[in-house]
Amino acid sequence: MKSATVSAFALSTMLFSASTSFAQELATKDRIGLADAPKSLVVRLTNDSPNNSDPAIAEGYQKLFVDFIKKHPDWKLQMQFMSSDIGTEQAKMLEQAKAGNAPDCAAVDSFVLSQFMVNHVLADFTPYFSKEEVDDLFPFIRSGITDKDQTVRAWWWDTDLRVLYRNKSIVADAPQTWDDLKKAALASTKEGMEGVLFNGGRWEGTTFDWLANYWALGGKLVDDSGKPVFGEGENKEKFLKALNYFKDLVDSGAAPKRVSTIANYDDLNAAAAAATTALFIGGNWQYAQLKATLDEDEFNNWTFSPIPGPSADQRSTGTGGWTIASFSKDKDKVEMCANLAREVYMGPANALQQQLPTRKSLFDKYEVFSTEANKTFAKALVDGQARPGVPIYPEISNQIQIMMGDVLSGTKKPEDALNAAYNAALEAYKRL
Amino acid sequence: MSPIAIEVDSPPQSRSFMRRFAGAPLPWIMPVIVVIGIFYLYPVIDVFRLSFTNATLIGDNQDYTLGSITNALSSPQLPDILWATLIFVGGSVIGQQILGIAVAVVVIRGEKRGLFGTTILRTTALVAWVVPGIAGGIIWQMLFSEAPYGALNSILRLMHMPVVAWLSDPAIAPWSTLISNIWRGTAFSMVVMYAALKSIDPSLYEAAEVDGATASQQFFFVTLPQLRAAILVNMILITIQTVNTFDAIITLTGGGPGRATEVISLYVFNIVFRNYDLSGGSVLSVLMLIISLGLAFVYASFLPKEEEQ
Repeated sequence: MKSATVSAFALSTMLFSASTSFAQELATKDRIGLADAPKSLVVRLTNDSPNNSDPAIAEGYQKLFVDFIKKHPDWKLQMQFMSSDIGTEQAKMLEQAKAGNAPDCAAVDSFVLSQFMVNHVLADFTPYFSKEEVDDLFPFIRSGITDKDQTVRAWWWDTDLRVLYRNKSIVADAPQTWDDLKKAALASTKEGMEGVLFNGGRWEGTTFDWLANYWALGGKLVDDSGKPVFGEGENKEKFLKALNYFKDLVDSGAAPKRVSTIANYDDLNAAAAAATTALFIGGNWQYAQLKATLDEDEFNNWTFSPIPGPSADQRSTGTGGWTIASFSKDKDKVEMCANLAREVYMGPANALQQQLPTRKSLFDKYEVFSTEANKTFAKALVDGQARPGVPIYPEISNQIQIMMGDVLSGTKKPEDALNAAYNAALEAYKRL
Repeated sequence: MSPIAIEVDSPPQSRSFMRRFAGAPLPWIMPVIVVIGIFYLYPVIDVFRLSFTNATLIGDNQDYTLGSITNALSSPQLPDILWATLIFVGGSVIGQQILGIAVAVVVIRGEKRGLFGTTILRTTALVAWVVPGIAGGIIWQMLFSEAPYGALNSILRLMHMPVVAWLSDPAIAPWSTLISNIWRGTAFSMVVMYAALKSIDPSLYEAAEVDGATASQQFFFVTLPQLRAAILVNMILITIQTVNTFDAIITLTGGGPGRATEVISLYVFNIVFRNYDLSGGSVLSVLMLIISLGLAFVYASFLPKEEEQ
């Protein structure tokens, strides 16, 4: 009996250590899969990966990746992770791709996808996704990932949108128009709040969040050939109207001057947590962050609504998201990358991070998207507009950020700032 | 190891090899030349080459042209960028130098008197230097935050003083970036000045005391002249370092509001990584090199000559 117990204990210990060692071998910090797997795929990802700063999300991804590699035991994934300086990371990766040194499979930000497309560095994903799956994508996603020959060049797996968050205990009704928002923000300042907060510093979020106002007026940044047109004709009028709206928010005190220093969505969460603001324009993912940050009672005071338009029926919101693409010329690696996009990201990762899926049917497939909040976000995607997928966009964005700082701080008049931004964008366009 | 020792220890074949090259410096310094050539000189030469092209990050074709140089140098933004750079570099060099000397003098005097806390003071100053630029930017962003819970403004409120628009006012923001950079770089100057102060002959102070010199007279007529070489070398180093600084600014202000804090290194970064203009970025990088070298030569011309030493 004693020897049987000892044997059982030894066996269980052996099995446990074997399974532990197997698990350890299968997932290290920079590798998923067995070290001696015959095939290898170099993968470069953002924090939407086991590198996520939230331990629960990181663990969830680790499990998804391990499950994935178990289905493809001949492969190992050599993991590389990007820093948070996305613009630089993407520009570097483009250079690497042109030189033939890019990773086999990588996360490409949706708004720079066109830069990779015009350089013909992306592999063909068409054979690996069915027509039904492609047709199920939201239209702006579908057009974003296909080139002019209708070849699928990447798989856009998550999207997001911007909304107006408000503290119901201070602002009871959702502002519908620009005027409503100004009135509500001014009323909130009488209760000791800062007014409405939004990104206004030197970073991409400033441009993207403000563009919703310009798009709501029907303004266009570029024409069909990709040339900047935002500073001429009707577009100029609309641009100035949207710009003056933000300037008026600051000049009237409906928004604090410090918005020109906000260059991070976390600053908006911080203000909500400190109860110094009752209104801010932020991303849909911040709803879950607020839930995690605030006490339950405080969180229950917060809700969101579509970004107000110049009138109640003129609405728009910016939509973004990430794609998975392959730079490899090896068909096996391209297929493996497509498998990764399909089996890890297209659905499971959406559910894990509550990142909005890009396919309509996935909203019904996962329970997390059946919450009222996520249903509302999904409905709001109807007004969604993506940034133009043209090579000049990053410079247009840079110029709008400079312009916004000049206007909100009172350094330049809106029209002068717009003219300077437009001329600089045109000059840059000529050089591209 | 001396050449004689090599001959004694080496077998006959290698002995003749060693003898052949013993007097020739080139084989000995060749590895260094190769490493410097590949990792330092080649990129510099390539930047010069790219500045004579119309290369972009997203295009494949590049032609040789002078257009990139004229475009980059005639850019209407450049004068403002250079002015912001002048304020940032000039202010940083002066501030870091003065504070570096001040802290080093305090530490040296504290050590002489055996005061408690001199090591803590020295270490505290060094911490700022060890912190990466990006982290430094984040730290100062929290301190300068204009939110109701911002650190410095909260202190001002407690003291019933008006709050300051540290980062949102284009007239104040450059000074805020300057303060953060002085904070970061003072430790380096302190280390250089501390070493230089330690090497001053104590008999000079004894002679000055015998002559009845006051503490300030000793500082201005003994200490400062003795520190001249160290100050100039330090100024060369921190000027080059500051001209190249952009990591702290990118996290603190991103160059804003507008272009109020966009120094030339950040401008180059934006031109290359936002505008994809590789040739324009190269032209401005060469301009940065010329500015740094020009200032270095100016400082170096004031260095004491050998006969003066």
